[in-house]
Amino acid sequence: MTSIGTGYDLSNSVFSPDGRNFQVEYAVKAVENGGTSIGIRCKDGVVLAVEKVITSKLLKPGANKRIATIDRHMGAVSSGLVPDGRHFVSRAREEASSWRKVYKSPISTSDLASRMGGYLQAYTLYSSVRPFGITAIVAGWDSEVETPVDAQVGNGPSIGSGGKAEGKKYGGPGLYMIEPSGIYWGYYGAATGKGRQTAKAELEKLDLAAGTLSLEDGVKEAARIIYVAHDDNKDKEFELEMTWISNLEGPTKGRHQEVPKELLEEAERLAKKALEGDDDDEETTDKPEDKMEE
Amino acid sequence: MNHLPQAWGRPRDDVYGPYDASYLQSSHGPNQHTQSPIVTGTSVIALKFKDGVVIAADNLASYGSLARFTDVKRLRKFADSTVVGFGGDVSDMQYLDRLLISLDTEEAYSSSGHTLNAKNLHTYLAKVFYKRRSDFNPLWNQVLVAGLDGEKKPFLASADLLGTTFTSPSLATGFGAHLAQPLLRKVAPDEEAAAKLTREQAIEAVKESMKVLFYRDARSLDKYSIAVVTKDGIDLKEDEQLEKQSWAFAEGIRGYGTQVN
Amino acid sequence: MAAMFSQNPLMNGPNYSFNQGPSTASAGNKEHSFYPYTDNGGSTLAISGSDFTIIAGDTRSTSGYNINTRYSPKVFKIGGTTASQDDATLVLSVVGFAADGEALKERLDAIVKMYRYQHGKPMSVKACAQRLSTILYGKRFFPYYVTAILGGLDEEGKGAVYSYDPVGSYEREQCRAAGAAASLIMPFLDNQVNYKNQYIPDSGVGHELKERERIPLGRNEVEDLVKDAFDSAVERHIEVGDGLQMLIITKNGIEEIYKPLKKD
Repeated sequence: MTSIGTGYDLSNSVFSPDGRNFQVEYAVKAVENGGTSIGIRCKDGVVLAVEKVITSKLLKPGANKRIATIDRHMGAVSSGLVPDGRHFVSRAREEASSWRKVYKSPISTSDLASRMGGYLQAYTLYSSVRPFGITAIVAGWDSEVETPVDAQVGNGPSIGSGGKAEGKKYGGPGLYMIEPSGIYWGYYGAATGKGRQTAKAELEKLDLAAGTLSLEDGVKEAARIIYVAHDDNKDKEFELEMTWISNLEGPTKGRHQEVPKELLEEAERLAKKALEGDDDDEETTDKPEDKMEE
Repeated sequence: MNHLPQAWGRPRDDVYGPYDASYLQSSHGPNQHTQSPIVTGTSVIALKFKDGVVIAADNLASYGSLARFTDVKRLRKFADSTVVGFGGDVSDMQYLDRLLISLDTEEAYSSSGHTLNAKNLHTYLAKVFYKRRSDFNPLWNQVLVAGLDGEKKPFLASADLLGTTFTSPSLATGFGAHLAQPLLRKVAPDEEAAAKLTREQAIEAVKESMKVLFYRDARSLDKYSIAVVTKDGIDLKEDEQLEKQSWAFAEGIRGYGTQVN
Repeated sequence: MAAMFSQNPLMNGPNYSFNQGPSTASAGNKEHSFYPYTDNGGSTLAISGSDFTIIAGDTRSTSGYNINTRYSPKVFKIGGTTASQDDATLVLSVVGFAADGEALKERLDAIVKMYRYQHGKPMSVKACAQRLSTILYGKRFFPYYVTAILGGLDEEGKGAVYSYDPVGSYEREQCRAAGAAASLIMPFLDNQVNYKNQYIPDSGVGHELKERERIPLGRNEVEDLVKDAFDSAVERHIEVGDGLQMLIITKNGIEEIYKPLKKD
């Protein structure tokens, strides 16, 4: 790499003459080695899925979860350095609970993404720290009905001053991806980790912007995409972990929960079937696009 | 004569009298803690039956003798499996409710699917109450916890501002301890009797007790909340109206009706 | 004394306000209306025999004239290693302020458990008795408002009863009644266990009169004494009743007996 020997890659918080922070770019490299994580924003909920590469046969299947609950209505998954992901989750939980302490209501997905974006960005500013070696995907469902503040006792006026706004639309699904630089965007479908290129290509085919994909179909697509993205990496075994958040009428009632075993197994079965039928027309593989070689 | 520099230029005490410090806030005085409840809810009553617990409380929050808030929900759900009925200070109730929300959130961090049952929750609340009373900073409530225990059997227990706890087939706080508890004990004198009650019998007994409380408790309301907790979940109704009231008895009591003699 | 703090210049010479006068309002002593104790009534009783100890308590819990519940145990097994406490060797009874009683029981239980895990053997009653005293005295200036009785078998296998005041003063006794009906039960025990005021007929006049010889009581006899004591207390004390819980400690373990008492 051309950066080697220039000295600008040795310290965080120092720009190179052409305006780059090499430490952040190295952190992105760490992410690119991690198991694939994806998120899909459906019309009635959000799905998170992660390809959990099995590093030892002695690990108990189904244990060692990679997707975490941030608040009752929100979850997060990350690719890259697992301990950094854990710290990300712990900070996100603190943000969510301190938001509740101040505002007596759940934090919105966009606000949490903003807080965490700001937090990660701070780790690019100081020479005493290194950036996070993860890219995190945060999924949440902001309540679609007007919800009471925590511990609210009454209903307040129904009409007139202080009354409810008629026909106002609230909330909905939220999906954000936060990178080591602290940058974050909202997505219809997000992918990161080793298989991100394949996963992104698959996500684009779904036309998520139309907002027609149902949550249950989203779960099946998510499983399939993780399987497809793993296909390039066949030698290593993996486990699929999935969580979801539905709207208030849906199966999780606005809460972040694991996808039930039956549905998960059904989705995996369909994913494997789709792969078998797919085997002859192999997808394009991960193109090495490495800006750092410039 | 005081020659210290801080006294220079000050009004002389022998001329103007000593400085009157009475307006100063006692900011360095002892810490002030709750000495009495402010906005309060009255009785909570509950009764165990065959496969669950019925619990009720009216929707009034009083400010002394003023009926201050008339749509206050004093039955709070926890983790879709337990109901806590609060009597006493309403702001302390809201504090505890938020504490329970954060407890539920933290429980959900691990995806084991395990949730705290009513018995666990009661122990937790009792310890919070006892800690706060030991700090001389009490949470001014008496609560009833209704739900199921670890063996999925009906559970009902009380905890109060002093940390006192007890369980019984029927319980009532505040005025209800005097008026409703005897009626409920008649229906369920012991655990065996409670285990034979049907859901309908239990609801009927609780509704009847709420009516009696409304007749005689001056700090009560005819709008109330009632919840039935079973292993199938919580059936909570928060906008109920007392039915079939009969004020005929008032005619025979001086000062109650319109009669003068 | 008052003159020392007076602002009157004629008494102390002139003085000045800044930094010397009071910086806070002196509104007299603040009245605290929160009282952190209550009395939950009930009574307990312990009698030691030659190879057993019985600790008993009624199961009523009260607040003023109200009965909170008819079943709220005051007698607990201490220091067992399982949730059911069936390998416990000690028994603690607490009567007075129930919340303090519960807190005291849980503390002692945790300590005795730790002792057992660290030393690989159950704690002796003697050691536990001293430890309990230390715990109580540790809250000398905000006491556990309870009368505790600790029971077990001593190193020789004889029944042992230790009784306490709320701040940790304790002694080993043959028998002890505590709680609401202590003053009703204790004299009965003096007479029936220690044969106080019982003399052998025609054994002499005045100081020559011989006391009835004390003999160790059998277990069944003691069980009957306990039941009689509580039945009598229930008749005369409104805070005692509903149920009688008896824990009998022998070398084979702790046996529990529950008998109904009058519920009025």
